[in-house]
Amino acid sequence: MALVLFISVFLISACGLIYELVAGTLASYLVGDSVFQFSTIIGCYLFSMGIGSALSRYIHRGLVHRFIWIELMIGLIGGFSSAMLFLAFAYTQAFAFLMYFIVTVIGVLVGLEIPLLMRIVRERFNFRDAVAHVLTFDYIGALAASLLFPIVLVPHLGLVRSAMLFGLVNAGVALWSTYLFAAQLGARRLLRAVSAIVLAILLGGLLEAKRITAFAEDNIYSDEIIFARDTRYQHIVLTRFKDDLRLFLNGHLQFSSRDEYRYHESLIHPGLAAIPTPRRVLVLGGGDGLALREILKYPQIDSITLVDLDPEMTRLFSSNSMLTALNKRSFLSPKVHVVNADAFPWIDADSSSFDFIVVDFPDPTNYALGKLYTTAFYRAAARHLSAQGLLVVQSTSPMFARDSFWCIDATLRQAGLRTNPYHVYVPSFGEWGFIIASTRDYNTPTSLPPGLRFLTAATLPALFQFPPDMARMPMPPNTLNDQVLVRAYDRDWKDISH
Amino acid sequence: MTATRRRFIAGGCAALTGMTAKGQPRIAGSFVNDAFLRGHQIRDRAPIAATPRDERIPLVIVGGGMAGVSAAWRLQKRGFRDFVLLEMNDQAGGNARSGANEVSAYPWAAHYVPVPGPKAVYVRELFEELEVLRDGVWNERFLCFSPQERLFLYGKWQEGIEPAIGLSRKDREQFQRLEDSFAAFRAGGGFSIPMELGLSHSPRELDRLSFGDWLRGQSIDSPLVLWYMNYCCRDDYGAMAADTSAWAGVHYFSSRAPEEKGPLTWPEGNGWIAKQLLKRVGSFVRTGQMVRRIERRGNRYLVLTDSVRYIADAVIFAAPTFLAPYLMEGFRPLEKFEYSPWLTANLTVDRPPRGAGTLERAWDNVVAHSPTLGYVDATHQTLRSQVDRTVWTFYWALAEGSPAANRALLLKKDWGYWSEAVLHDLERVHPDIRSCVSRIDIMRMGHAMVRPVVGSIFDPRRRELAVGRGRLVFANSDISGFSIFEEAQFRGVEAADKILRSL
Repeated sequence: MALVLFISVFLISACGLIYELVAGTLASYLVGDSVFQFSTIIGCYLFSMGIGSALSRYIHRGLVHRFIWIELMIGLIGGFSSAMLFLAFAYTQAFAFLMYFIVTVIGVLVGLEIPLLMRIVRERFNFRDAVAHVLTFDYIGALAASLLFPIVLVPHLGLVRSAMLFGLVNAGVALWSTYLFAAQLGARRLLRAVSAIVLAILLGGLLEAKRITAFAEDNIYSDEIIFARDTRYQHIVLTRFKDDLRLFLNGHLQFSSRDEYRYHESLIHPGLAAIPTPRRVLVLGGGDGLALREILKYPQIDSITLVDLDPEMTRLFSSNSMLTALNKRSFLSPKVHVVNADAFPWIDADSSSFDFIVVDFPDPTNYALGKLYTTAFYRAAARHLSAQGLLVVQSTSPMFARDSFWCIDATLRQAGLRTNPYHVYVPSFGEWGFIIASTRDYNTPTSLPPGLRFLTAATLPALFQFPPDMARMPMPPNTLNDQVLVRAYDRDWKDISH
Repeated sequence: MTATRRRFIAGGCAALTGMTAKGQPRIAGSFVNDAFLRGHQIRDRAPIAATPRDERIPLVIVGGGMAGVSAAWRLQKRGFRDFVLLEMNDQAGGNARSGANEVSAYPWAAHYVPVPGPKAVYVRELFEELEVLRDGVWNERFLCFSPQERLFLYGKWQEGIEPAIGLSRKDREQFQRLEDSFAAFRAGGGFSIPMELGLSHSPRELDRLSFGDWLRGQSIDSPLVLWYMNYCCRDDYGAMAADTSAWAGVHYFSSRAPEEKGPLTWPEGNGWIAKQLLKRVGSFVRTGQMVRRIERRGNRYLVLTDSVRYIADAVIFAAPTFLAPYLMEGFRPLEKFEYSPWLTANLTVDRPPRGAGTLERAWDNVVAHSPTLGYVDATHQTLRSQVDRTVWTFYWALAEGSPAANRALLLKKDWGYWSEAVLHDLERVHPDIRSCVSRIDIMRMGHAMVRPVVGSIFDPRRRELAVGRGRLVFANSDISGFSIFEEAQFRGVEAADKILRSL
């Protein structure tokens, strides 16, 4: 009997600490500033426990009865605390208010627990033993919870399910207490029925936890997520709002279907339309097939090789009907050959020549990607250019990342190429830049394929004019051993995001 | 009640630990390239088993490290082909040996060459031949990629190994003062690579005190500055500043121009250079050939191995010089030739650990205040943008305590002990390292590199050996007093030239 009682103390103490840790962790995850979050939450929680302890003196009769009700309330509120907070963050402005409210309520209830239990136990033990035993197990429970939480719960269950699991423990203690203290209880049936209901609700919550988090994450991405997958290389997310389809790779926007034609027409046609008789084209990156769609507007081209690292990406864009509608089933063209390989080693090993090379990599956000923007890479790529060949590089924004844009230009020049930088406006990206590089002279084309929505031959020359706020900056070239571009890019974007 | 509660607590603890101890896969590995069994035969002057056959050859090179192989490279380029190179180990290359597994090639010891200055003409000549240097431009693919180095300090990674974060005024001031002193020494030109070229106008008095004492004389007492100075001595000399000649300490900082973005490196470290050289001179190399005795016989030298007695007109002794007294009758004992024991480990890393801090993985990764030298990533020089598996080469110069005691420790403790020590050290920065590593191979080197102790640089005996006597020429980098590729190559090439002049 005594042991069973103290196990209850151990368990409810662990539960109490878990809810506090859940709130602190969640606030740190979502809002940041973990020192502030943990300090204020612990303070608020302990203070509320004090309020609970003070209130306990107003409970005179029916101690066991009230103890069980308190357990059930803690189980329900604590169990759903994490899910409620997630949803509140995603859908309301009241996250902080709700968080401190929940922490206060749980704190008050937990503060009531121990004094009540001591008084219940006092009837069996003398006061000295009761205090010693109850507090001992209270503290052991706290230790167990504080170890379990980071080692087992967060990595294996996540915050939402951890809270639910411990809600179940609280409710379980309530149900168990109806048997343990049966002698001191009236209305046992009612209490057992309520306990069973609470247990069932929490169990349901535990099973549905995945859906709750997904629902909350939906709103963090603002539009409905229609596809999300972690591949070996990246996190692919597709969202849709009405007719706007957006692709995010590792959280970075790649295109919005509303204006991607501006980007892809600009990437391809100023270069490709200037080549007299293009036959063979190479695309590096571009696993969405949208550049391919533009290239396929030239019937004289007989072969397009697309090298993209991620097979899941090219598979997705050659099979999903919404996406193939967007890229006009470009991957299904018999002219297109897909190679899933890392671009730099591939271009180093391959020996074929191309009339047009499209370099469409993600922005140089880290040193691994930065290698694809070096003199060594452009030298290797230039070896593949035919006599009439041109190379085009997506070169980030000359407006928001002016140093980076001109650093790419300097790098291409250092690699022995002539450069022709230009820029366009893509609403979802802002002002965006490209560079045509070649070993020969380049003249803007006088005619473009029919059916373009953005570019015209008449407006093309204007794209090569840079206003003063985007004008050339003197920059050193980016090399494998000194990746100035990654540092410049980091600086550029930090400057505008703070 | 008491008994029950104790049982309960014990049970609870067991349950908790049971939950944390995940089923860790066993990490495989072994000691590799152990050389001491053969080496100790020389030390113990073990009897030679069979009667060897005679072979007449104009020149024998003893030792297939960088000095010996570079001598062979020079001879071969000059059209001289009548020689053999005898190497005790199964693989030539010495400290530039390397290994390879299904993930990557990796170094066993030396793993880079700083971008050579204008005085290192032989190194530049070699690198031009290997197309590392073309038309005065270093091949970008062989220069260490960004990010080069990082240091774990105050619980986070910073870029570069010289401490730069959280410096106090005092730290800053002392770093600056040292930098100014080193710049002044550099301008004096007495500290050069190769060292021989600057020696005549180099401050001799610096060799009379330890680098530790010199720093004290400069009132350097910032723990962080001293840590960095000690790190540099451990890294290049395998010794603490207190056991290093101040001349060598200064040489480390003052011999090279504030660098071009380098150094030069390859996945297998200097093993790449060794491979290129062996492609050219491999046909002269006989591995697994331990020289047991070298005797002067009139105008000739007899070089004895277990199977052959070479009758040679000249010998280039490119093996570590400390072996000479054991091989040559009447060779006076050496005094200022101490050697640092090292341990290197190659770890097969199956998945990147969740590192502390957010800085990207660098080529050279050092942890402040660790007794080890950190690790180098073998796949850093890859052109791929995605790397899952890699090999880390972990370096540990057993610098604290006496070299003899550390050598004994290297031999006494088993693979389990050393692999545990390596993991333990890495765990400070990569708590989950054990679940990322599938194999740890360890190489123990009792005499990994010569230690530039006080008085060793201007040691008259060393100067005498540098000049050489007759047609027996000493070429190991330990004649310079410290063990770096440029010195070994310089001494090898110079020895070859001396022999060519005399034959």
